[in-house]
Amino acid sequence: MSGSVLEEPPTVRPGVVPSGPFGGRVSWRWIGWIGAVIVLIVTPHVLDAFWTGKVTGWVCLAVAAQGLNLLTGYNGQISAGHGALYGLGAYTCAIWVDHFDGQFLGGVALAAIVSFAAGLLIGLPALRIKGLYLALVTLAVATLFPDLVKQLEGITGGQQGLKMSEPVPYRGTVVQQNVKWVAPEWTGLADDQWRFYVFAVIALACFALTANLVRSRMGRAMVAIRDNEVAAETNGVPVARVKVVTFGLSSALAGVGGALFALWQTQVFPLSFTLTASLYFLVAVVLGGPSSVIGPAIGAISYGLFEDVLSKKVLPERWQSLTPLILGVLLVVLMQLAPGGTVGMVQTLRRRRLARRASGVLQPAGQTVDQATDPATPDDPATDDPVLDDPATPDPTND
Amino acid sequence: MSNRQPALSPSSVRRRPIRPVRLGAALVISLSLVAAACGRDDETTTDGGNSSETTAPGAAPFIDPAKDCLEGYEPTKGVNGTEILVGTVRPTTGPARIYDTVTKGLEKYFESVNAKGGVKAGDGTSYTIKLVKGDDGYDPGKTPGVVQSLVETDGIFAMVGQIGTETNEAVKSYMNTKCVPSIGLSTGSPGWGQNNTSPWYIGGLPSYALEAGAFLDFYSKTKPEAKIALLYQNDDFGKAYQGAIKKWITDNNSKITLVAEQPYDATSSQTTEAATAELAGSGADLFFVGIGGSQCPITLTFIPATWTPDVYTSITCSGKLALSLAQGKDEGIYSTQATLDPASAEDQTNAKVQAFLTDGAAVGLTKDELEGGIVSVGWGLGALFARSLELSPKMTRADVMNTLWQFDGEQVGLFRDGVPLTTDNDVDPWLIEAMRVVKRTGGQWVEAGPIVDYAGTSNSFAS
Amino acid sequence: MSEFFQFVVIGLGNGAVYAMVGMGLVVIYRSTGVLNFSQGEIAMFSTFIVWSAHEAGLPLPLALVVGMIAGAAIGAVLFRIAVQPLGDSKANPLPVVIATIGLFLAVNASASLVWGSESKPFEKLFGLGALEIGSVSIDYQKIGALAVLAVEVLAFQLLFNRTKLGLAMRSVASNPESSALAGVPVNRVLLAGWGLAAAIGAVAGTFTAPNFGIDANLMLNTLVFAFAAIALGGFDSLIGAVVGGLIVGVLTDVAPRYIDAIDKMPLAPAFLLIVAVLLFRPEGLFGTRRVQRV
Repeated sequence: MSGSVLEEPPTVRPGVVPSGPFGGRVSWRWIGWIGAVIVLIVTPHVLDAFWTGKVTGWVCLAVAAQGLNLLTGYNGQISAGHGALYGLGAYTCAIWVDHFDGQFLGGVALAAIVSFAAGLLIGLPALRIKGLYLALVTLAVATLFPDLVKQLEGITGGQQGLKMSEPVPYRGTVVQQNVKWVAPEWTGLADDQWRFYVFAVIALACFALTANLVRSRMGRAMVAIRDNEVAAETNGVPVARVKVVTFGLSSALAGVGGALFALWQTQVFPLSFTLTASLYFLVAVVLGGPSSVIGPAIGAISYGLFEDVLSKKVLPERWQSLTPLILGVLLVVLMQLAPGGTVGMVQTLRRRRLARRASGVLQPAGQTVDQATDPATPDDPATDDPVLDDPATPDPTND
Repeated sequence: MSNRQPALSPSSVRRRPIRPVRLGAALVISLSLVAAACGRDDETTTDGGNSSETTAPGAAPFIDPAKDCLEGYEPTKGVNGTEILVGTVRPTTGPARIYDTVTKGLEKYFESVNAKGGVKAGDGTSYTIKLVKGDDGYDPGKTPGVVQSLVETDGIFAMVGQIGTETNEAVKSYMNTKCVPSIGLSTGSPGWGQNNTSPWYIGGLPSYALEAGAFLDFYSKTKPEAKIALLYQNDDFGKAYQGAIKKWITDNNSKITLVAEQPYDATSSQTTEAATAELAGSGADLFFVGIGGSQCPITLTFIPATWTPDVYTSITCSGKLALSLAQGKDEGIYSTQATLDPASAEDQTNAKVQAFLTDGAAVGLTKDELEGGIVSVGWGLGALFARSLELSPKMTRADVMNTLWQFDGEQVGLFRDGVPLTTDNDVDPWLIEAMRVVKRTGGQWVEAGPIVDYAGTSNSFAS
Repeated sequence: MSEFFQFVVIGLGNGAVYAMVGMGLVVIYRSTGVLNFSQGEIAMFSTFIVWSAHEAGLPLPLALVVGMIAGAAIGAVLFRIAVQPLGDSKANPLPVVIATIGLFLAVNASASLVWGSESKPFEKLFGLGALEIGSVSIDYQKIGALAVLAVEVLAFQLLFNRTKLGLAMRSVASNPESSALAGVPVNRVLLAGWGLAAAIGAVAGTFTAPNFGIDANLMLNTLVFAFAAIALGGFDSLIGAVVGGLIVGVLTDVAPRYIDAIDKMPLAPAFLLIVAVLLFRPEGLFGTRRVQRV
């Protein structure tokens, strides 16, 4: 088909406008990353200790949501069980820190490894069990996890929870106080600021690794499997290996998020890791927009804003028990207005804007304006917006 | 990268294996008694709080913020002119939501007292009390965030009537650090008896261990060789009963035996039906129901017709509202009682109950709520807090706590006439130590044994 | 040994409820391809209506009917406003899953708002009596639950095989586009499906509530058991839901009593069984095998 309709000047393709400020020399992607880093650096200085602490908690959710996004958004395997992997990471870290006197960051690394292994383990049967059945099996895992914690009371502390504590001199004796994050002298930072930066660095690393992954061959394979598994297999993609490894990586991310959560709370309880947690991860992924790297961050921030700001600060006390009602209605409405989440909404708006611009640049014969502006067409890679865009979708205009 | 500040030199402190804090504290209590005898160690890291303490009459104050505060001490935060801001945390969702009614009682008490001009405090001023409520869904993972918000953002003076054992434990570290009182905890976990490591916490219920021991004292008189089947909640609450029963049997060289035990997970999706069926197989003489929430009375409906044991239910499920879930199977069961029962015809002749019924109705409580037995618990906790203000010479956090640690036979709220509230620092850390055994007869609680005062001995019942 | 039978009886009683909720899930899945996360909450809400009707003076069986009708209406309305606008869920399941999660939260919170948060006593439909066989005691309530379950299965068989509505539902379930072309009012049929599921939910709730007291969290965990039931039995099989439900019920009540290692994990044996079954038969015990055109 190419070349048959008309010969276009090579620098301009229908619908493509060079994207990025300064005439496209700096892409939006770099602006995005630099902007994120700046926001992260500034945040703990702008917020007081209390709010810095709250926002630090959002970071844990963001990392875990990114893990789920990798699996469900990019690879199409629905998981309702990431709460369990989050919990696995949290408990691994807590046991390491309290039981083995380990260093905090060692706990994070250990959590990543253990969760990765668990993910591989779940990924294997997931090869046979697909779609909604897989969702149910992962739901089972999510439901079983708190029970497992209670069963293994000896190491996990059971229902009474596990506190990462240390003996502290107090009133002439010694009391077990929860461990603290203490900023090293040379940084000149307050403890809460230091903790936030450590979390932010870990989260940024996770996001950067994920961004790299989805642009790699592995990432393209993941998306190919999501879109049409049989076709992918026919094209030589090692489906089984990719699916299992994706499960593993996704779980590792959830585990890191969980470890961070444990370090943030300095204590863990089984009730924090029930099915509800898994469902909230799913909500965060969808709020942000599945299959985009920045989506989970947006989702986590949105959810955090909702829980900590809107429901506690903005709503009067009488209405606070209405929070789940409001969230529920919000989700229902959101799915009708913006099923692609925040990122999807932005993409749709951009596409409409670009298409309107493109129709002024060049109108290919035989293609109506409606086709170009139809939001139901699959992602158009021609917008070339790597921060928001799903880069691995096959180009639909190639025929 | 070292993120942790070593508290003590590594060689001198061994990290303990995981156990609930209270067991660790039990080891520590013996050290603390020695240390108390030898005087205070001033290795503590403290911020010099601006505390000019006046000692309560009699004993040395239990808390000295200059030495006993792990971080900054704010003595009068939450006292805003003639208003004192207090906080509470309770579950409005989840399996323990029935206890939200306790908070209602607390709230209504303050409303009632404020309407009458406030609490006349020991410093001569009348204060109105404003309550800010938080919700943790009975999930100890959520409690710290909620409490932190109340303490740091709302700026409360103290917590009152906070509900739950693990939930309170989850913030103990924080409260020690911030030096904020938590008064009248709505839990009787024996751990609160180790008040040297939690001086800012004072319980508002009798120790569960004492409760079990007191009942066994009564029951063993008529059934000295009874076999007990125990259904216990699988957390601090239920295990307190379990430990106390075993300890009582050993300490008294008794012929009573614990022949069967079943744990029950209150957060699980199951009923106690299967566990009860299994316990029924033991043919025990006494069925001790050591669980809380709505499954406690409902368990009574699961007792098979072939098993006719004496039944004991936890004090936390003895209210009329809770027992209505038993669908009539509560006849003949035992419990213990330290408070007046607004649903009891006999107690309704008592002046204190009448005052409660009148005052409660005046602030909008319904007849069902007044007689339900759960609202009255909250009302009593509010009264406890008010009394501590009345007796405290100054409105600072440490003064109010020290006052509470030196209660001398106070008759407060809806506690029975023979139940004086007495404490003495760490020698007698429990406020409520007198109770009587009651039996459910014709839908009412009737005395089965007289009030016994176990003053100062609660800790000895705990394992 | 009699203890064992006692546990089995308890398990069957619970399993009947899981089967009922599972059947509702199957009805919705077959017609809309949606796994309805809010099924339990709609059931709970309908059960509250039963409770209110009974409190207002109606005898319990009549109150149940009222609850079923009101529940059906609510189920249909919720489908109309939350799910129908999202289009075909088989193509894109995630938004629908999220929408049903949203309904879950909203309905749960609404129930608390309307009826408050304390557990309220709920009478047993079949009374407090029991049949004694040896030392095993079988509540009339449990026998009643199994009987009602059987009646429901029969009713569905009749509905699907003998009525026009049933035919329309089967047609929509198998091929919505062709059905629409053939003149079947697809959306009305889907509405009916959700309504029916809600009505069964009311029945399920009526059997669950006496054991817990009725409050907004009544069906929270029952839903998970029902999911387990249909995963075992097959998403699109009513018989599968029944068999799956009963097996899950029995396993969950019996296994932890004998295997100490899982005494705090009642769901473990059921889920292990499900994983085992799905590995060998990915469509569940009674589900239809999906053949995909390549």
